[in-house]
Amino acid sequence: MSSPKEKTSTILDEPLLITGGQTFHSVTDKISSITERKTPPAWFIAIGISGSAVLMLFGMIGYLFWEGIGIWGNQVPVGWGWPIVNFVFWVGIGHAGTLISAILFLLRQRWRTSINRFAEAMTIFAVMCALLFPSIHVGRVWVMYWVAPLPNQMSLWPNFRSPLIWDFFAVGTYFAVSLLFWYTGMIPDLATFRDRAKTKIRKIVFGILSFGWHGGNRQWKHYEMAYLILAGIATPLVLSVHSIVATDFATSQLPGWHTTIFPPYFVAGAIFSGFAMVLTLAIIARKIFSLEHYLTIYHFEKMNKIILLTGMIVAYAYATEFFMSWYSGNMYEWFTFKNRAFGPYAWGYWIMIFCNVVVPQILWFKKFRRSIPVMFVAAILINVGMWFERFVIIISSLANDFLPANWLYFSPTIFDIGMLIGSFGLFFTMFLLFLRFLPMIAMSEVKNVLPEADPHFYSSNGRTNGNKSISLSGEITGEADS
Amino acid sequence: MKLKGKEYWRSLDQLAGTPEFKEFLHREFPVGASEMLDNTTRRKFLGLMGASLALAGLSGCRRPVEKVIPYVIPPEEIVPGIPQYYSTTMPFGSNSYGLIVKSHEGRPTKCEGNDDHPSSYGKSNTFIQGAMLGLYDPDRSQHILQDGLERSWNDFASFWSGLRQGFAANGGSGLAVISESFNSPTLARLTQEFKTAFPQAMWATYEPVSDENIFEGIRAATNGNYIPVYHFENADIILSLDSDFLLSESENIANTKRFTDRRRISSETESMSRLYIVESGFSITGGMADHRMRLQSRQVGAFAVRVAQALGEQGVQVEGINNIQVSGGDNFDRQWINAVAGDLVQAQGRSIVVAGRNQPPAVHALVASINAALGNAGATITYHQNPNTSHSNGGELANLAGAIRNGNINTLVILGGNPVYNAPADMDFGSLLSGVENTVHLSGYVDETSREADWHIPQSHFLESWGDAGSADGTLGIIQPLISPLFDSYTNVHVLDLLANNSGQNDYEIVRRTWRPILGNGNFERNWRRVLHDGLLPGSSSPPASPGINNSSLSAVLSAHRFDGGAVSASNLEIVFQPSNATYDGRYANNGWLQEFSDPVTKIVWDNPVLISPATARELDLENNDMVNISFDGRELEMPVWIQPGHADNTISVTLGYGRESIGRVADGVGFNTYLLRSSSGLNFGDGASLRKTNGSYRISATQDHHSMEGRPIVREATVEEYQDEPHFAEEMVKHPPLKSMWQEFDYSKGYQWGMSIDLNTCTGCNACNIACQSENNIPIVGKEQVYKGREMHWIRIDRYYTGDPENPEMVHQPLLCQQCENAPCEQVCPVAATMHSKEGLNQMVYNRCIGTRYCSNNCPYKVRRFNFFNYTKDTPEIVKMAQNPEVTVRSRGVMEKCTYCVQRINVAKIRANVEDRLLQDGEIKTACQQTCPADAIVFGDINDPDSRVSQAKKQNRDYVLLAELNNKPRTSFLAKIRNPNPALG
Repeated sequence: MSSPKEKTSTILDEPLLITGGQTFHSVTDKISSITERKTPPAWFIAIGISGSAVLMLFGMIGYLFWEGIGIWGNQVPVGWGWPIVNFVFWVGIGHAGTLISAILFLLRQRWRTSINRFAEAMTIFAVMCALLFPSIHVGRVWVMYWVAPLPNQMSLWPNFRSPLIWDFFAVGTYFAVSLLFWYTGMIPDLATFRDRAKTKIRKIVFGILSFGWHGGNRQWKHYEMAYLILAGIATPLVLSVHSIVATDFATSQLPGWHTTIFPPYFVAGAIFSGFAMVLTLAIIARKIFSLEHYLTIYHFEKMNKIILLTGMIVAYAYATEFFMSWYSGNMYEWFTFKNRAFGPYAWGYWIMIFCNVVVPQILWFKKFRRSIPVMFVAAILINVGMWFERFVIIISSLANDFLPANWLYFSPTIFDIGMLIGSFGLFFTMFLLFLRFLPMIAMSEVKNVLPEADPHFYSSNGRTNGNKSISLSGEITGEADS
Repeated sequence: MKLKGKEYWRSLDQLAGTPEFKEFLHREFPVGASEMLDNTTRRKFLGLMGASLALAGLSGCRRPVEKVIPYVIPPEEIVPGIPQYYSTTMPFGSNSYGLIVKSHEGRPTKCEGNDDHPSSYGKSNTFIQGAMLGLYDPDRSQHILQDGLERSWNDFASFWSGLRQGFAANGGSGLAVISESFNSPTLARLTQEFKTAFPQAMWATYEPVSDENIFEGIRAATNGNYIPVYHFENADIILSLDSDFLLSESENIANTKRFTDRRRISSETESMSRLYIVESGFSITGGMADHRMRLQSRQVGAFAVRVAQALGEQGVQVEGINNIQVSGGDNFDRQWINAVAGDLVQAQGRSIVVAGRNQPPAVHALVASINAALGNAGATITYHQNPNTSHSNGGELANLAGAIRNGNINTLVILGGNPVYNAPADMDFGSLLSGVENTVHLSGYVDETSREADWHIPQSHFLESWGDAGSADGTLGIIQPLISPLFDSYTNVHVLDLLANNSGQNDYEIVRRTWRPILGNGNFERNWRRVLHDGLLPGSSSPPASPGINNSSLSAVLSAHRFDGGAVSASNLEIVFQPSNATYDGRYANNGWLQEFSDPVTKIVWDNPVLISPATARELDLENNDMVNISFDGRELEMPVWIQPGHADNTISVTLGYGRESIGRVADGVGFNTYLLRSSSGLNFGDGASLRKTNGSYRISATQDHHSMEGRPIVREATVEEYQDEPHFAEEMVKHPPLKSMWQEFDYSKGYQWGMSIDLNTCTGCNACNIACQSENNIPIVGKEQVYKGREMHWIRIDRYYTGDPENPEMVHQPLLCQQCENAPCEQVCPVAATMHSKEGLNQMVYNRCIGTRYCSNNCPYKVRRFNFFNYTKDTPEIVKMAQNPEVTVRSRGVMEKCTYCVQRINVAKIRANVEDRLLQDGEIKTACQQTCPADAIVFGDINDPDSRVSQAKKQNRDYVLLAELNNKPRTSFLAKIRNPNPALG
């Protein structure tokens, strides 16, 4: 099991990213077989549950369109209720995917290869869930398209001063780029699927999806350049999207919203929650599909470190916010924060503090960073906490603002709760479909981090890497060993 | 601009003809096209068209049913799209309000006060504003019914002529009439004729809420029948004894107008009156008071005696207090009483002592005596005799009930009113009625009484009636119909004429007959048209009388009364009955605007919980929304409880006018029928009530949930002394950095620039503006559940805050509407630019463009924007749509809306000025809230005109802008509230 590399690993050297003595072939076989073999019954049960939630969601949306926004708990003063909480939550979830695939790619963090594909998928699906909410949340959904700058005979344009317009562009761009990035990265793997296809349908479908990829040198050259450029484009988006979402709040006058700390604080929070979600999904997928060799404890520990870091940023932001509201001498601000911690929504605030500030502290300990059950529970709690963060920011600020005569307690309705559950259903349904039909781990990239990909590779059992002229990234495609 | 009725009016009764004629027409020419499909000859076609046209013309004011037919011969003076204004009069108990009503193509849409009328002064109150919806109530009764079967007027008339012969023979023995109270020459004449025709008939005038005690008291003191009129504008010192004269008492518009005239100040050097009040509940008059003392209603009489005695100590001898039986009340705050007495003595002839209608006659007699002693009678209080009135008289009703019980009555005619619902519970009127052979009930709704009566006759709304009515001081006005009756309904004039004369004349002729002697036969037509145009007969008020105190009758009533100043305990509670500020005595229960009107004090809508003080709640272990069982005088009622700060301890207040059943879609099942607890012995208040917590709980909806300002400078207030020390206190209450913009701002220095100033010192919080706005701007009602969720749609609301001691706070009010910020925070966050600014500084809302993100509402620090969470207007009945203002868009689901400063009124006035090639005059445009405000607290106009009233108001040193530190630059500013406490009580 041990290669010289493992034996000589030093503090500077990474441990083996893929364990279990995987070969190019075994990687291809393992990942491809997940989509090729007979659908396991567990998958049907899972998609049955999540699909039901989706049906409920669509049913509720239908009712919403029929009746109006009033079926939710929204009111005056709380004009934005759970739908916007869910929106910010899901946009935040999406962030980790892009961070992993783009920023970590540019930073040459090779450990990302095992998780980047489904982290990106998670991004796509989370952003889809996120986009759903603002779209159905407007009062007149049938004229939602007016936010787009469509030329019209009345020369009516959207109001570019409105952060909601920025939002529309930011999230839209983000979704488009993420989709392209995800798809581009998937092309070599789709070609592998095509080549292994035994049924006609698979052949046709993957034949179309893989765009005629044959793994030639020129293709690899263009592919890598495209991937790099997309990573370059996606990187600022990671920071911009949630910064823009933060401006929805920060540019308003509302105490508790009107604060310059929001953009970085939201970005950190987004990455924090996104990683927690990746972790949650990875742990489940690893267990179900026996991917222990691909998703190692080492990967998880890396992610836990990022969670710890961003969690500390978030905690710092909470503290700063609280301090500044007092230090500013603005009675409205100070009231809002006192009210968050000790007012009618204190329960939400303390759930948030517990989940987002207290829980991540256990990740200081290596033992816990490497314990699957501990990190699983922590990740779920962090996601709960991050949902509550948005709840606290949005609801408690709106419910108790400047004039006490306006104050009102917000209560969600069955539709608020149902649509939150439904959005999880939508997310998991899409994720299950992804797991079943698409390569959930980037085979071509994983092969890159196998010892064999190293031109200087020498294994103890005498195997060498024969082809020394292969370039550093992606020298071997699926077809090479299939 | 003075919008006045032209000299035109419609004798709709004449034109519309009788229902029989309509029925004939209907049979002859059925509505629908079936006839048209037959082989129609040209002649027949023309005949049909002619008949339809006649129908359309006859019922032109009704909603067009199926055919839209143009005016072939257009009525003179009607230009489609240009409203007409007609004067009319709204009768209200023993009083009336003169109105100018706006009419669009024959359908009335908005009521305003008549400037010349002494009870409305061009202003109005919630009931006047709500009248418009009441007219178009689809639940109004629509047919004459006999035992539930539809009948025609002829059926009823022949029924009556059968009876009449018998009564003519026996002088009316066995015949009885119950009437609502009125103040009307025609009704007075017909009543007299009825009594002449049937001398043996019994007559009872009854109103569940009336000023009977006041008249009785004044009669006792002066031995004459007088109606008092209070001239608060001349009063420096006012002592109110349980009198909410600014809202729930009679003449509230005139009282508010006159009271606030003496409170309006433009600088710290001007003086204002001082108001003391002693009351059990917390009223808005209590909120306006400079000194307020909580006392149980039962203690108020003894308190008045103590004040009279203190006046005596200070040299003003009050007649009639020497032989008075007074007990308890030794623990009244002597310092307070001496301060009041001192002030009253100082202000002799310039003060007013006024007692509420709930207080017994003896207290009113004593008050009349105090006012006489202080020289106020004839100076600040004038007494008027009015022969045209018929006041409510509980004794008459009791006599009649006795006669019925003895089987002496075989025919009972009830002209309006609803005694089965609102007569004292001990009379058990419902079962009394079943003992009468023939019962006839004239009523706007098939109500509790109608269901017990044999005959039900729909009563016309005053806006579709001919009649006349006098004001408190006797000024006569004409009730002129704005529309022909929407349903087969009849006026009390018509029914009473049938009873008395069987003249067969229509209402128009009946009323004119009364007016011939009044106006003189010589120039009658001309004078009649003048009165119709003006809405009233100038100079017809009865001259103020100066009745002296009649010692013997005063002493008789004072010595017969026990003035008990002792307080009752929590085990022996005092119960006080109050009319609702929304449904009054229940007559407006089916009016959605009024049901959703948030009570000026409690802010509760659609309900009437029992009010108790915080201390009593603690003692009885009660919280808001707890259900309690009230037992009083052997009767029980279960209803929810609401804790009212400032309420007298161990007193519970219940509101009348709720708990109606099977009246209509709005009224049914709202609140609790507290008449079930009200008996002849405890008509206004009584003690011995008990309150027991039951297991249930209830959900009360209020438009305001938080009642403290949390130390924020929202309603800014100072005493006169503080104001004199720091004239700019209001502005200086908030310190903020210089307000600068990063951008070059729009230049608003040219053209009209609209702005508003609201004087918190004169705003009483009566909430009339709220209903006026609702009527003007087609604001939907949303129902109790939606209000609970914070989705009420009112464009103007009145915030009410308590300040000071939570047990006994002061109360302040602040009307809040769109502040029309120049730097509007709502505008810049709207993604589709659906809300933007006009060059004239209006923050405009473009409903068509709105997609409903609600971001604007979130970013509005005043939260004055309203969102259509559902399609609130979808189910509006066709007939209710007639109440809507055609100049204002009806909003649909999913869009935001808010106050526009009545932009439709601005544009109408601008167009008119443009046509006349002139500039707008100051005061030419009045917003609906401003026009209604009886306190004149709202001033609107062009702030670019330095001489405009609004510019002048904004120049005052009390002027401040709410949340100025946000740099939103609102166009609406407030004038800070000033209280004028007695330094001796500092």
